[in-house]
Amino acid sequence: MTLKKRFAFCFLLLCQFISAQNDSITKLKEVIVSDVNLKKYSSSQSVQVLNDSVINKNQPSLTSLLNYNTVIYFKENGLGMTSAPSFRGTTGAQTAVIWNGININSQFLGQADFNTIGTRDFNSITVKAGGGSVLYGSSAIGGSIHLNNDLRFKKEFSNQVFFSLGSYNTLSANYRTIVASDKYSLQISISRNSSDNDFKYPGNTNQRNTNGEYYNTSMNTTFGYKIDSKNTLKVYSQFYDSERHFSLTSPNGSKTKYGDFNTRNLLEWESLFNRFTSKLKVAHIGESYKYYPSITSELFTYGKVETSLIKYDLAFDVNDKIKLNSIVDYNRNKGYGSSIDNVKREIGSASILLSHSLSDKWDYNASIRQEVTDNYGNPFLFSFGTRYQFTDFYRVKINASKNFRMPTYNDLFWEGSGNPDLKPETSYQAEIGNEFFTKDFSVSVTAYYNSIKNLLRWVPSQGGGDMWSPENTDKVRAYGAEVILEWKPKIANNNFTINGTYAYTVSESEQLIAGELIYKQLIYVPYHKLTGSVSYNWKKFSSYFQYLYNGDAYTTPFNNPATKVKDYNVGNVGVDYDFGKKKSYKLGFQVLNVWNENYQPVTSRQMPGRNYSIYINLNF
Amino acid sequence: MKRFNKLFLAVLVSSAFFVSCSNDDDNTQEARGDYDGGLFIVNEGNFGTPNGAISYLSDDLQIENDVFSLANPGKVTGDTPICIVFNGDLAYIVVNASNKIEVVNRYTFKSITTITTNLNNPRFIAFANGKGYITNWGDPLVTTDDYVAVLDLATNTISSSLISVVEGPEKIIENDGKLYIAHKGGYGQGNSLTVINSATNAVVTNFEVGDVPSALVKDNGTLYVLCNGRPSYAAPETAGKIVKVNLSNNTIASTLTFPDVTHPGFMDINNSKIYYTVDSNVYTTSTTSTTLPTAEIFKAAKVSTLYGFAVKNDNIYIADAGNYQDPGNAYIYSLTGTITSELGVGILPNGFYFNN
Repeated sequence: MTLKKRFAFCFLLLCQFISAQNDSITKLKEVIVSDVNLKKYSSSQSVQVLNDSVINKNQPSLTSLLNYNTVIYFKENGLGMTSAPSFRGTTGAQTAVIWNGININSQFLGQADFNTIGTRDFNSITVKAGGGSVLYGSSAIGGSIHLNNDLRFKKEFSNQVFFSLGSYNTLSANYRTIVASDKYSLQISISRNSSDNDFKYPGNTNQRNTNGEYYNTSMNTTFGYKIDSKNTLKVYSQFYDSERHFSLTSPNGSKTKYGDFNTRNLLEWESLFNRFTSKLKVAHIGESYKYYPSITSELFTYGKVETSLIKYDLAFDVNDKIKLNSIVDYNRNKGYGSSIDNVKREIGSASILLSHSLSDKWDYNASIRQEVTDNYGNPFLFSFGTRYQFTDFYRVKINASKNFRMPTYNDLFWEGSGNPDLKPETSYQAEIGNEFFTKDFSVSVTAYYNSIKNLLRWVPSQGGGDMWSPENTDKVRAYGAEVILEWKPKIANNNFTINGTYAYTVSESEQLIAGELIYKQLIYVPYHKLTGSVSYNWKKFSSYFQYLYNGDAYTTPFNNPATKVKDYNVGNVGVDYDFGKKKSYKLGFQVLNVWNENYQPVTSRQMPGRNYSIYINLNF
Repeated sequence: MKRFNKLFLAVLVSSAFFVSCSNDDDNTQEARGDYDGGLFIVNEGNFGTPNGAISYLSDDLQIENDVFSLANPGKVTGDTPICIVFNGDLAYIVVNASNKIEVVNRYTFKSITTITTNLNNPRFIAFANGKGYITNWGDPLVTTDDYVAVLDLATNTISSSLISVVEGPEKIIENDGKLYIAHKGGYGQGNSLTVINSATNAVVTNFEVGDVPSALVKDNGTLYVLCNGRPSYAAPETAGKIVKVNLSNNTIASTLTFPDVTHPGFMDINNSKIYYTVDSNVYTTSTTSTTLPTAEIFKAAKVSTLYGFAVKNDNIYIADAGNYQDPGNAYIYSLTGTITSELGVGILPNGFYFNN
C-alpha cells in the first residue's frame, strides 16, 4: 500500500519534472509511438522519417515510396510484381521490415516483398540505415524499414478518405478513421488497390503488358486503452490479402498467379513503475502464399508459417542521462506447405541496451544480444555508437555493429534440397556520419564499410544435373557513401520543401573466373542512385515533382557488360487544390513518368510509360 | 609441340582441300546460306527471361552468337529454347517457356513462321510421315495433361487432336515411321518409353525402361536409352542405367546398371562406341559391351557445369553452363581428351546440332 503510494508520488513528481523542463515533451506524451526503442537506440545512425504527407503523395506500394524517397535500390520485376530491396549494396533478405517493432520478413524467403506492403495504413514509415540486429533480429544488415502506427490520446474524431483512379484502370482507395479520448484511442484503416496493369510498352511496339493484373486489400486496426495512469494496453492488428498475376516476359508464355494472405496481431501491455517501464508483448504472425503455375488450372503450390512471439522489455532510467533496457524474447514458428514438411523452429534471445548522455553534446549507446536456437549457430551480436555535436550546426555520428541473417525455412527445410547444417550470414560493419543542420536545412553525409560472410546461396550440385541446394558460400564487402538533404525555404506565402538523396555503392563478392579469384559487383546493385523531390505550396495550391535516377547495374555474377540493365531517369509531377475551409478537401492530378522513359528495372521486366491519375483526399 | 605441328598441318591441308573443293564444284556445292555446314548450339538463357539464343559454329570454328536475332532483326529467340531439329531445308527451334516453335531456313536462318497454337510447355520434336511430333508437359501441376502435338509440315499448323501420353514426355526420336518418347518425368521423375505409330497417331505401347530416361540414341537397330536414376532429393534415390531396346520388337534387349547411386548425365554414340558423362568425367564403352568401364577417358577439368554433350567424328563437344547466369562456354576435345577449342557461347548452352 505504502509502496503504491510512493510509486504514485514519484510518478507525479516525475511528471512535474518533465513538464517543467520542456513543454513540448508533455505534448508529445499524448502520442504514444509504437516503437520507443527505435528513437532511443538509433541516435548514432542515419534515420529518415517519412510522414503521412509524404506517404500520401506517393503511390501506395512500399516499393514506390522508398524508391523515390530513399537511397534504397529496388529490384522490381515489373510494376506491382515481386520486389526486393538492396540497401547499402546488400541482398533482398538483408533488409528487415519491422511492423510496430516486430520483424515481419517472410520465414520462407527471409525477405519481405515490398509490393505486398501498402503504405497508407501507417502513420509514419522510418528508414534506418545500417545494422540493427541487436534490436530487430535477423536481416537487419543493410538497414531496416519501420512501419509505425502511433496512437494519440486526445479527444478526436476524424476521418480521411483517399481515392484515386488512374490509367490502366488503376484504383487506389483508403479510408482511415480515428476515434480517441484521453483514455482510449482507436484507429482503423482500410485500403484497396487494384489495377489491370495492361499498359502498352513505350516506344515503337504494339506489345502490351499481359497478365499483369493485381489487387490487394488490407485492414489495419490500432487500439490503445489507458487502464490507469500507469498501465496502458495496446492492440495492433493487420490483415493483408492480395492476388497478383505475374506479367509475361514473352507473349505466348504460360500465365501464372500468386496469392498472399498475411495476418499480424500484437498485444502490448505497458506499465510504469517509478523509473521502470515494463512492456510485455505477445504477437501472432501468419504468412501464407499460393502459387498457381498455370491460371487455367485450379492446382497450386502453397506454404504457410505461423509465428507466435512473446517479448518482455524492461526499461530502467537510472537517471535522466543513463537509460537501460533489457529485452528477452521467445519466438516459435510452425511451417508447412507443398515442399515443407511440418517443421517447427524455436528462437530465443536476450539483449541489454544502454544509452548514456555524457553531456548536452555527447552521447553514446552500447548494446549486446545473444541468440539461442536449435537450427543454426547461436550468434552473439553487439552494437556501439556515439554522437558528438561539435557546433550548433554540425554533429558527427559513429556506429559499429555485428549483425546476422538466419537461414530461411526454404534454406533449411525444402524437401530433398534443404540443408540443415547452414550457418547464419554474419556482418561486421562500421559507419561515420556527418550532419549539418540549421533551422530549415539539413544535410547528412555517411560513409560505411560492411563485411558479410557465409552468404547463403542456392548453388547447383557439382558437375551439373538439376540438383540445387543452399550453401554458405560467398563473402561480400560493401562500402559506399550516402547523402541525404532536406531544405525548407519559405519566401512570403511560398513554401518549398526540397529533398534529395544520393548513394554511391560498391558491393563485391569474389568470383572464380577462369581459375582466378576476382572481386565483382553484386548483381542488381547500381553504383549510383539519386532521388529528388520539390514541393511547392502557395495558399491552397500544392504541387510537387519527384525524380529518380538509377545507374546501370550488372545482372550476372561475372559482370557481363552486354547484359547490364540500363540506367534510367523517371519523373512524376502532381498538383492539388484544397477546396476546404476548416476541413481539407483536396482534388489532385498526377502525371507519372512524365517524359515517358522506356525502362526495365530487371531484364525483360517492362515498366509503363507516361500515365495519369486523379485523386481526392478528404479530411473531416 | 609435335602435336601442335601436326594439328597445324592438318588444318592447313584440310583448308586447302576445302578451298579447292569449292573452287572446283562452284555450281553444285555453293553454300546455301551463311549457316551451311557447321553446327548450332542452343543456349537456353535464364528461365523466365526471353534471353535464349542460338549460336553457330562454322566448320572453320568461327563462332557467331544469337544468329536468330541477327538473321531476323527485331525478333528474339525467346524464353528457354530447348532444341533445334532439322527436317529438309528447315530447322525447328522449340522454345519451351515461350510456348512456340520458330521455323527457319536451316542455311540462312531466315524466319519462315512462328507456331504458337496447341503448345503447352513444348520440349522436343521429331519428324515422320510429313508431320512433326512435339512432346509437351502441359500444366506444371497437372500430371494427366501431357501430350504429343502433331504438326502438319505442309501447313505449319498443329492439329487440335493431341496424343495423350503419360507424364513428362521429353526426348523423341523417329525410327521406321514410329516415334519413341522418353518419359523423363517433366516436373517429377518418369521411367517409361512410349511408342507412337505415325500412320495412325496412336500409342502402340508404353513400357518401363528405368528411372529418369533423358537421352535417346539409335544405332544399328538398337535404341539406347540413358536413364539418370532418381536424384537424391526425390527419394528413393536410384542408380542410372543404359537400357538397350530392340527396335524390331520394342522390347528391352539388355541393361547396364551403374554402381551405387551413380547418376550419368549425358550420352552419345559414335562409331559403335557409347560415350557418356558422370559429373565432368567422360567415359566410353563399346555398344556391344556387357559391362561399364571403371575408369574415365578424361575429366573435363575446365567445365564447371556440364550441360550439353555430343560426339561426332573425331570430336567430343561439351557445353559448360558455368554459373547459370553468365554466358557459358563450349569446348571441343579429341576422343582422347585433348582440348582443341574453347568458345564463348550464350547463357546455359545445352546441346550441339550438326547442320549436315
